[in-house]
Amino acid sequence: MFKTGSKLFLGLSGFAAFNLVAYVIFVERLAIGGVALSLVFAALTGLAAIVLLINEGDNERQPRDAALIGASLWPLTTVVGIVLLILGLIVAQIYFILGIVVVLAALAEWLVQAWSESASDDPAHNESARQRLLHPIEFPVIATLGLGVVIFSFSRIMLAISKSAGAVSFIVAASLVLLIGALFALRPALKPALVSGICVIGAVGIVAGGIAGAGIGLRSDLAEAAEEGHYLHRECGVEKSKYFDKKAMKNLSLRSNAAAIVELRDGKLSAIMVGFNTPQQLITASRANPVTFIFRNFDPTERRLVASLGNAMAGAPAAESDGEEADHAGKNETCTQLIPKGAEQALTIKYNKPTIAQTEPFTLTVPGVAGQSIEVLVP
Amino acid sequence: MKVRRLTSRYLGPRSLAASGSLLLLASCATNAPQDTWQPKGPNAKMIDDLQQPVFAVAGIIGIIVAACVGFAIWRYKDRGQPIPEQTHGKPALEVSLTVIPALILAVVGVFTFRAIFDLARTDDTQLVINVTGQQWWWEYDYPVQNEWGITQPIISSGQLVLPIGTKVLLRETSRDVIHSYWIPALNGKRDAVPGRVHTLRLQADAPGIYAGQCTEFCGLSHANMRMEAVALSDADFAKWVANQQAAYQAPAEGTLAKEGESVFLNQCVRCHQVSGLKRADGSLAIAAPDENVWSGAAPNLTKLMTRNTFAGAMFNLLRDACRDDVWRAESAAFGEKYLGGVDESCLNVNDLRAWLRNAPEVKPMYANPALLTDTNGKYRGMPNLGLSESDIDKLVAYLLTLK
Repeated sequence: MFKTGSKLFLGLSGFAAFNLVAYVIFVERLAIGGVALSLVFAALTGLAAIVLLINEGDNERQPRDAALIGASLWPLTTVVGIVLLILGLIVAQIYFILGIVVVLAALAEWLVQAWSESASDDPAHNESARQRLLHPIEFPVIATLGLGVVIFSFSRIMLAISKSAGAVSFIVAASLVLLIGALFALRPALKPALVSGICVIGAVGIVAGGIAGAGIGLRSDLAEAAEEGHYLHRECGVEKSKYFDKKAMKNLSLRSNAAAIVELRDGKLSAIMVGFNTPQQLITASRANPVTFIFRNFDPTERRLVASLGNAMAGAPAAESDGEEADHAGKNETCTQLIPKGAEQALTIKYNKPTIAQTEPFTLTVPGVAGQSIEVLVP
Repeated sequence: MKVRRLTSRYLGPRSLAASGSLLLLASCATNAPQDTWQPKGPNAKMIDDLQQPVFAVAGIIGIIVAACVGFAIWRYKDRGQPIPEQTHGKPALEVSLTVIPALILAVVGVFTFRAIFDLARTDDTQLVINVTGQQWWWEYDYPVQNEWGITQPIISSGQLVLPIGTKVLLRETSRDVIHSYWIPALNGKRDAVPGRVHTLRLQADAPGIYAGQCTEFCGLSHANMRMEAVALSDADFAKWVANQQAAYQAPAEGTLAKEGESVFLNQCVRCHQVSGLKRADGSLAIAAPDENVWSGAAPNLTKLMTRNTFAGAMFNLLRDACRDDVWRAESAAFGEKYLGGVDESCLNVNDLRAWLRNAPEVKPMYANPALLTDTNGKYRGMPNLGLSESDIDKLVAYLLTLK
């Protein structure tokens, strides 16, 4: 009754049951791991039952063309997919989606394999039929997944190493790809095994580097910048950050969005706006729409731009209108950080009420620079 | 067999000829205000000067390629002849077929890049106008520019007014989704994107009205998001500017319009601003579209009756005969007719009343109260205010005074 296959699956299901009991007793009751082990146990027991029912391994009842049927990983893959799918219902959607993908792919492969194995009495022909049907799908999918892994690994490396090392690494990697590609093109008689070997070594190297990079994490400046919220420095206090809005004009999105560039130069404050050929002392800003000013400091002293927002709640930094809190020490104003000579910083404001609703005008000023003010008109 | 009979019956030579003739006739329309082949300003002319030869070259090449393919199909179709000798490559032919298109593209590229850079210039601007798109109308605000007599910002909607022969720069953005500004007679398209400021040059050669259309799908009433650019002579533009900045004139006491002002203060001012309008206590009436409308804005109705359109330029404020009188006016007379605005005899009262009665019924908008949970209680477009016929009478009388 019990042959090799059924013994294997019964043994594995017993092992899974043992692990399940141990997990529940020693780790945690009713945890996700317990659910997963329960499913593994159920799946293996089910497979053992199927093997017993179909008398696999019974040589007396082996079909005549059994030699045509090869080993298949797809039943096991399908079970893994089902486990992922059910686990995903409990843990996270991503596992559920992954489970669906694995189950559908495994079933498709399984079906085509089963069909091809009964196509003829010639195993070589059957395999050829399977390949003709599935290779046009398998190769692009495998190549995409492989490339994705390599690109993701490379990105982890670039995020972990310094900027200069990153540039060098990129140049070296690109040069190697070019050189090896040229070698392959010039020597078409190279052995396929050698070509494959070089590609595999390269890919494994990048993946290993990516794993190491992921372990190290982001380089320090990226990590610090990521911890800073873009709108967290609204207090108009003395604090400043090394990375906040650094080089705002090099940020494409800010440059495109700048309603005006406000410059402090030779003690004078002026606004430069696209379409106006001379510096302006008056800015017309759209109502109920975020506008961004870029502040450039050409003064030797550290300076900041302060925007008065008129009456209470008439205007707000763009982030506050999205529900974030800010403390202006009782003043209805917002500001950039203190920035040194040559630096620049962005300030985004949403004026919800028009100028005519204000008793005090909307202005842009720089503390410590007397007599200089730019008025913002909101129609 | 049946399919073949149907095909020969409906797609026969006669049907094809009829369809072709219809297409040909359609291209000969005289009343086509959004025709891209009729430039009315130097920017549009620059595009036209580029697209005409490119279209001709591409057309000729297209015909040659189609003829070659047709000839090859006909000449070498399978008639049972033996397969000819197969050879690998013909370098001279291959090089020629690569170099010739590359040269053609290079020449086209040179002129295209030059046009792109010329159209992107902003350093020769003479007048700046801010343009803001939102579902489903355009807002125009004119920043202070003393050289044009604009001493305080002017805000308008529906119709963009500009002086002829002037390099106008539009600074475009959007309050909600991506829109695209396009007046074919004056220039190409430019997207209005939330959070960004894009520029577009416009210049009109002669007085007149030039029609346009939002060309980026932006929701339910995208097709109704129209615009019109009104070009005036310098003198007429100065008159228009002066009138837009003129003080608000309240209706006389005891008139229907005065009662309409009260209705406006009770209902419309929640979203629509009329500069200078005061409440009974003497305080300025400040609209709060940011509290009621998803985009944060509603058309400013100051000087409404100086425009020819309303509801995102979907409807005409002028009756057809009066509108035709303005649109078809000679250049010399156009300014006077346009600046005359809308009076009671020319008011398209039917559409205006229908709009006031139930706006979402005449222009598709997400203004159903049942949908407000998706937008924090704010409307996308104008809701049905449930006005009585009497209130509508009063409002129409009041709106007629806004000029």
